[in-house]
Amino acid sequence: MPIITVGVKRLSSFLGRSFPMNRLAEALEELGCDVEDTVEVVHYGCPACGMVTEQLPHAAPPRRCEYCAIEQDQPLAEKARLEAIRLDLLADRPDLFDIGGLTRALKGFLGLTAGLPGYAAQPGEVVVEIDARLSRPETYRPFIFCAEVEVPPMTSEDLVDLMHFQESLHWGIGRDRKLASIGVYDLDAIVPPIRYTLLDPDGARFAPLGMGSTPMAGREILQSHPKGRAYAHLLAGHTAYPLLVDARGQVLSMPPIINSEQSRVKIGSRRLFVDVTGVVEDATRNSLYTLVSSLAELGGTIRTVRLEGPAGACQVEPELAPRTTEIVLDEARSWLGLPLSDEQIRGLFGRMRLDAAIAEGRAQVTYPRLRSDIRHPVDLFADLAIGVGYANVPKRLVASSTVSRERPEEAISAVARQAMLGLGYWEIVSLVQTNERDHFAAFRIPVGEEHVLIENPKTVETTMVRTHLMTGLLDTLSRNRRRALPQRFFEIGNVVHAGGDSDTHTREQRRLAFVVCGPDAGFAAVRSVADAVCRELGCEAAYRADSHPSFSAGRCAAFAAAGSGGRSVAGRIGEIHPEVLVSFSLQHPVALGEVELCPLP
Amino acid sequence: MAKIQLGETQHRVLIAVRDGPGAVEDIARAAGLDQAEVVGTARFGEERGWIRIHEQQVTEIALADNAAAWVRDGLPERRFLNAMSGRRELPLRDAAALATNLGSALNEVLKWGGARGWLEKREGSVFVTEKGEVESAAPTDDERALTWILANGAASLETLDSQGIDSKAVVANLGHRGNVARVRSRTRRHVELTDVGRAFLASGDYDLRRQQNQLSPDDIATGRWRLIDLRPYDVSLDSDRVVPVKPHPFRRILERARHAFLEMGFEEAVSPMVDSSFWVFDALFQPQDHPARDMQDTFYVARPATGELPDDSLVERVRATHENGWTTGSVGWGYNWSRDRARRMVLRTHTTATTIRALAQNPEPPRKVFAVGRVFRNEAISYKHLPEFNQVDGIVIDKEANLTTLLGMLQEFYRKMGFEKVKFKPSFFPYTEPSAEVFVFMPARQTWIEMGGAGIFRPEVTRPFGCTCPVLAWGLGLERLAMKIYELDDIRRLYWTDLDWLEEVPLCQS
Repeated sequence: MPIITVGVKRLSSFLGRSFPMNRLAEALEELGCDVEDTVEVVHYGCPACGMVTEQLPHAAPPRRCEYCAIEQDQPLAEKARLEAIRLDLLADRPDLFDIGGLTRALKGFLGLTAGLPGYAAQPGEVVVEIDARLSRPETYRPFIFCAEVEVPPMTSEDLVDLMHFQESLHWGIGRDRKLASIGVYDLDAIVPPIRYTLLDPDGARFAPLGMGSTPMAGREILQSHPKGRAYAHLLAGHTAYPLLVDARGQVLSMPPIINSEQSRVKIGSRRLFVDVTGVVEDATRNSLYTLVSSLAELGGTIRTVRLEGPAGACQVEPELAPRTTEIVLDEARSWLGLPLSDEQIRGLFGRMRLDAAIAEGRAQVTYPRLRSDIRHPVDLFADLAIGVGYANVPKRLVASSTVSRERPEEAISAVARQAMLGLGYWEIVSLVQTNERDHFAAFRIPVGEEHVLIENPKTVETTMVRTHLMTGLLDTLSRNRRRALPQRFFEIGNVVHAGGDSDTHTREQRRLAFVVCGPDAGFAAVRSVADAVCRELGCEAAYRADSHPSFSAGRCAAFAAAGSGGRSVAGRIGEIHPEVLVSFSLQHPVALGEVELCPLP
Repeated sequence: MAKIQLGETQHRVLIAVRDGPGAVEDIARAAGLDQAEVVGTARFGEERGWIRIHEQQVTEIALADNAAAWVRDGLPERRFLNAMSGRRELPLRDAAALATNLGSALNEVLKWGGARGWLEKREGSVFVTEKGEVESAAPTDDERALTWILANGAASLETLDSQGIDSKAVVANLGHRGNVARVRSRTRRHVELTDVGRAFLASGDYDLRRQQNQLSPDDIATGRWRLIDLRPYDVSLDSDRVVPVKPHPFRRILERARHAFLEMGFEEAVSPMVDSSFWVFDALFQPQDHPARDMQDTFYVARPATGELPDDSLVERVRATHENGWTTGSVGWGYNWSRDRARRMVLRTHTTATTIRALAQNPEPPRKVFAVGRVFRNEAISYKHLPEFNQVDGIVIDKEANLTTLLGMLQEFYRKMGFEKVKFKPSFFPYTEPSAEVFVFMPARQTWIEMGGAGIFRPEVTRPFGCTCPVLAWGLGLERLAMKIYELDDIRRLYWTDLDWLEEVPLCQS
């Protein structure tokens, strides 16, 4: 999850009042933000573009400017050291992704203001013409929403925040630009009307960001620009690429990959043009509304953009009118278990930057468009709870009496565990993920097709789910080779086989396995243990000679045991084959038993 | 006046010291007793003024348990040095193979070889230093000391020096190497007969009683025990170390969690570790494009690739809820829900899959259900992360399920787990609202640690199952708790069993 850094001084300046770092960090936690830590950050200035690059104090001073990508021999010069709060972003709350959103929420929570923030859009003049071909499968990126925002002259800090906010929205709403992607431009470097159209991959060339002023064709960007390579998969199979271009034919961007150098936002820019293109309408809209609302919170003025589709279709965006939903107050009270008065409820909603009109036990709650997380009245109930503060919520137990019941496999496991401990065996716990080499080849077992295979293993060590418990035990002996013999271990755990009639097409079992290693570790030892365990489980075991590749010939038996009450267990015991010992670097005989205690649903 | 009753052992000790003062071990040898008996008797004599005990602290070096083989075969770094047989450099990979061949780990070889200044690791190779070259010729002082101790038993520093071994060098090299040798401080005692004792012994004015170490069955049956004294022991001496076998330390925490919920009236549930996306995600209103469902985070299963969905009417309600909220009062997620994606099998990412299956079977209040089980996240194995871990999940279906009872039930659970202080902060999850993160206070470390997530199931989760009552839900990690309780900084130690650790961790925690 992305982590953002929020400067304490900067946040205080937007709040209009200075707060100590701890108070802000605490308030953010109470709002539900995930405060990673509070730190001192160092700002470095770029001699070329004047932009700030931010780092933690223990990191080496950077040589490369994050913004203009200039790289120099000398580290960048330190400009300032500042207190900051680092936040782990929460995917479900994009309205809390940046300093603008946090300012909006904190203003209410800290009592500086209350109620709905007004983010109305003023009429604007920019027009965007949309090419119908963007809706075709081979060039599909049909949705585009845009806005113009007049802002106080952009500072270096504003630019850094905007850049990070854009990245966070790409992650949280855009699903790494797959569903939606954002472009922000200096409107003074653009001549409207703007066209949303298509680019021939090998046709017109433009200078992408971060490559100086070298013009490149679309396909070339996907092949050799770092951002192009990172996101080329999003345009794979497209015969033409999406393109935003102004009236003079100057390229704004090639969504969802990269903007052009010419239209980039600079220190001092005052008019921004924002576009969001995407393949899912909601995600595309929400990205735009969240971004421009934040800019408005930080002092910007939003202006509308006219989107002209094919065949005269026309739309004016952004559509920031707040939404209203009705809740029943008693439902809120009982959901939270808090006897809040009407007046308290109104106040709490105000604190959470919502408006509530209350009449006859109901509230019409108005919330801004950017609260895309509100899909049900319970989401508003949760806002009330946050407004109250979890620390102030009384803690009670439910009064209803219910009867506890443990699972039968746990009851039988408890008996088996007690028996094994009494016999002097140490318990181990091992991972259920393993691989075919350690699980089959090392045990001389043919690989077969009865095991659950992981499709996207992270490493070659964990490619399947275990079908027996022998790997963990032999591995344990191997790890403890230095210790005196004899050694005795057991494990109680689940194994899974693929196949069967259950809805998951798997069969899961609870098993017990035990192992003894040492000069006297032989069939007789594990036979005694198997007998003892069966006896303690109330069963009597019947043995027959068995052959199994992991055991020495003539020293392996299978058993089945049944007892009163319908309990039955089955298993196998024997002396481990020397070849298996060698694969686990063991030099002493090992005898092992594995018992199927019971099937699991 | 009755004569003094003198035990046989006491008599033998007095006789042994009559010829002059001696060390406890010498007297024990002369009297044919063990040292504990001599010390015990000497204390008895001291009380009567017959004997004087002189005590002196000495430092002694003894072999650690199981270290004899190392002394015979050579310490890992010595064997490695020998095996280098004159080579001055070996690439790391070959060095690792060589170490493995010699039955030890390269890092162990480097640790001790480096400490001696024999070996150096740099530029991807292991180098033998000048010093290593020189010292490869003959055993060092500490190695000679080990050989001497193996042959003659524990030795004091003076003894070693008298053997021409530099005891300072021995302590420097072995002092911190507990698995090879133990350096310990010991009290050496000299025993001397006082003039009073000498006079008493000369007077012969005592009865000699028979002394034995142990009563025989015959002694007990015949009543002879009345005439026998058991030889007194020095009860302050160290015992032989015995360790009971124990359940695995992590198992004890899993069991404690289970029992906490059983005591609170919860029934236990179970569900498959390998389950369909439907139960792991869709039934919990996690949209099909949610980042948690990415291959980045979730292990998908290639065999069996798909599972079966439950009955069509339920699936239909879940689909409608995802797409448009169905009749739950929600607007839903607004996308086209796919049956095929719901059928994809995964290694479950949480045991909430277990509790939602339990809810589906019977949504009628009042019910309390918990499950402890293995869950999976797509991570590589490192000291910080494992691709699987254990979770305890719980649900409470109850008319009184609300935020106050959610926090109350969780607080009660953690109190049962031994944590007095519990706190909550708001959080956001796709399937609960409101949601909370749970923290407990570890007094030993004076810090709050995060335990997991909790909340009230959204109606979008419960209504499709016909459940109209609010439902509390939580999923709490257990590895973190175990690591804090056992003060581990490497999570793998919970699953890669080290017998030393099993023996060390006491059954009782807090």
